[in-house]
Amino acid sequence: MKFVWRTLGLLVGAVFVFAGLTKIVDFQPFRFLDPMELARDIDNYKILPWTLSVWLALYLPWLEILCGLALIFRRLYSGAIALVLGLMIVFIGASLAAKARGIDITCGCFGHVSDQLSFAWHMVLDFAILGALVGLWFCGRRPQSEPAETPL
Amino acid sequence: MRSLLRQSLLLLGLACLPAAGQALYFHDKVSWQSRIAEADMIEVDLARSWGVEAIWIDARPAVDFDRDHVPGAILLNEDRWNELLPQFLQEQWSPEKKIVVYCSSESCNLAGDVARRLRDEAKLPNQIRVLKGGWEGWLKTRK
Repeated sequence: MKFVWRTLGLLVGAVFVFAGLTKIVDFQPFRFLDPMELARDIDNYKILPWTLSVWLALYLPWLEILCGLALIFRRLYSGAIALVLGLMIVFIGASLAAKARGIDITCGCFGHVSDQLSFAWHMVLDFAILGALVGLWFCGRRPQSEPAETPL
Repeated sequence: MRSLLRQSLLLLGLACLPAAGQALYFHDKVSWQSRIAEADMIEVDLARSWGVEAIWIDARPAVDFDRDHVPGAILLNEDRWNELLPQFLQEQWSPEKKIVVYCSSESCNLAGDVARRLRDEAKLPNQIRVLKGGWEGWLKTRK
């Protein structure tokens, strides 16, 4: 069973690293993406003021990458799960709120890779990741008696 | 619980470092005030001074365009993009001219979106600028 949770942690970690990278770089051809593109995607949700959207566009991809790496290498593991769990809940809430208000949005979750993703598939993916994270939170973490992931 | 909090705060703090680096790298492109980078905008007076060297594009809905618009402006909005873009490219577009796009006001996003689509989708090589203040800005300087 430990193997299953370990693999799931690796998979979810890889998804977050990928999600973060696609917001920062375009792979074909390779170039750094203008953070204004992501800021506009965030702004399209019409929840945050523009300045905060820019701040998030600069910050969020790196947080996703760091949390993804933490899940892959099992360093700062519990903190990373808590953060990405929070992020997923916010993503899902924001997407549902936008849909309810009739706003047609590009989620920007995986940069340009997800441009063609329908809302339904976007939700399926989000809830699958959320489910995996809940599983990791309750079953995939080391018991308290074992040595901590990273001595701090 | 304290360890969880410490780990979370450490990750949150660590993410600030590359984010700050990225902000520095893109400092000339990032606009903290508006959706459109400062370098992509143009003041009404400067746009006017371009005279016949500029093509003016009205990105507002057709009903607003019909009511009034910048003299000589062409209607090209996202609602009828597929119909109006080929028309514009065939009849009015010229590779030498500059393009000024405007919508209703400083806060509207339509002009920025149309300008971006002209650059990214239509791949126009022209210098494309969004009018600061939009139609409202134009009206203020007309008075």
